[in-house]
Amino acid sequence: MTKLTSQERVSRAFAHKPHDRVPRSESFWPDTITRWKKEGLMGGSREVLELLETDFHNINWLWPRPFPGDEQLVSEDAETHVVRDESGRLLRRWKHKSGTPEHLGFECDSREIWEKKYKPAFMETGLQINPAATMRAYREGRGKGRWCMLNAVESFEQTRAIIGDEVTMIAMAEDPDWVRDISQTVTDIALQNLDAAMATGITPDGLFVYGDMAFKTATFCSPQMYKDLIWPDHKRFADWAHAHRMKFIYHTDGNVNNAIDLYLEAGFDCLQPLECKAGMDIRKLCPKYGDKMAFFGNIDVMAMKDNNLAVIEHEIASKFAAGMKTNAYIYHSDHSVPPQVSWETYKAVIELVKKYGQY
Amino acid sequence: MSNLAPLNEAIKKGNRNEAKRLVTEAIAAKLPPREILDAMVAAMDEIGARFQRNEVFVPEMLIASRAMKEALAILEPTLVKAGITPEFTAVIGTVQGDLHDIGKNLVAMMWKGANFAVVDLGTNVSPEAFVKAAQEHKAKIVGLSGLLTTTMPAMKQAVEALRKAGLPGLKVMIGGAPITAEFAKEIGADGFSPDAASAVDLARKLAVA
Repeated sequence: MTKLTSQERVSRAFAHKPHDRVPRSESFWPDTITRWKKEGLMGGSREVLELLETDFHNINWLWPRPFPGDEQLVSEDAETHVVRDESGRLLRRWKHKSGTPEHLGFECDSREIWEKKYKPAFMETGLQINPAATMRAYREGRGKGRWCMLNAVESFEQTRAIIGDEVTMIAMAEDPDWVRDISQTVTDIALQNLDAAMATGITPDGLFVYGDMAFKTATFCSPQMYKDLIWPDHKRFADWAHAHRMKFIYHTDGNVNNAIDLYLEAGFDCLQPLECKAGMDIRKLCPKYGDKMAFFGNIDVMAMKDNNLAVIEHEIASKFAAGMKTNAYIYHSDHSVPPQVSWETYKAVIELVKKYGQY
Repeated sequence: MSNLAPLNEAIKKGNRNEAKRLVTEAIAAKLPPREILDAMVAAMDEIGARFQRNEVFVPEMLIASRAMKEALAILEPTLVKAGITPEFTAVIGTVQGDLHDIGKNLVAMMWKGANFAVVDLGTNVSPEAFVKAAQEHKAKIVGLSGLLTTTMPAMKQAVEALRKAGLPGLKVMIGGAPITAEFAKEIGADGFSPDAASAVDLARKLAVA
């Protein structure tokens, strides 16, 4: 097959049609790039993605906040600082390295505070996307022939960020209408922002929506609770994408095997990043769902972290063999490449991806 | 047990007001405190087992834990009077270099629901702090949590420090997204738990081993 452009390649993968090679994308922890620079990488993550010959181009970053621009430093020590962030939560973050923050508290811990302060704040924030910057990024992606995608956070991740994990989960059981209200409100805001991006005249290829709804062994809530409380807003994102002739990609960490039928019912086109350590495995998923959904990722970072090329080669060869049978597989690690992976190793990963990804 | 069945049911359903009312009634009726406690712990055990079978999920587990915690607070003075103490003390924390807290908090909650005395050291806990807390509280169990692949070596260091301290009978268990049973074995931990409910079973098993 003649060489396709990235846009053609990914579009064909989403249509489950033959294409020239496996499309590629990747994510890295910031500390990984810092390490690689010391080991000879010239540039940053952008340069790594060029070397990988990525096919994807993100054109925006959208996480609507109730108090945009209002992050306050509360305290700090040598290693960390504590901030009240734009979602009103108290977080402890590392100063000099990457990692997830510690959640110290959430001001919005009751329905009353949500209704009196946070919901009105969300409604009054106006646009949080930068249409001009989105347009520029879109033109850049198109100039490179890449598959361009809009990004947005989904409502479960948003809800947890506003009222905290514990209050969210308890409210799902005891006050489901409140969770529905938050989910609907933040989805409305997100879609308004995406509409504003589209009003610039861009025609992206896909919508990438991210938000973790699972942990190591299962989804946080039951499939039925997901269907009742969050799924309607996930479906709105998917419907919105399809109405704009875009494909819909959903990113969630964790074990979501029990939710895939609901994703298909909502019209999801693709699932990413398929976390291996949580039990996601395209060798099992492809025979069951490979004709209905594209799979994006699932190359185990745990297989990369020991820098053992034989282990990495087995991982890539076996997963690619399963994914490529469907004509709808896209390379990505199953999370973000961690800093245990050397630059030499990752360059070898790129070569293996090229070797095994050729149709 | 039959007259304590409604209390057991209220905890399983996460009905905290009903659980508090029923435990108050049980105390007033002078039912043996051990029987009251056993009925409550049995409820949490069943919730844990159902969680492991994916029959209930985090929301249901959380409301049951909260009902247990609030009912237990009412029962506690009666237990103290009767000389009934928690099964054992367990220390828990997220290892040094890691601020992740969700998994650790869930395990702590389930351990409290199982009637363990729990000392939660928070996140970014140094090996020395784990040792100090284990000594100070005469812990039977230390639970180490970690989310990041980069903090797995810190877990090993904490296990080594606890072993070096030579605390008699102390068992160390680990958990977190990148953690496996193989890794637990590799670093000399006594066990690995994939989720909060299994962490209760494992802690009990290790404590009597």
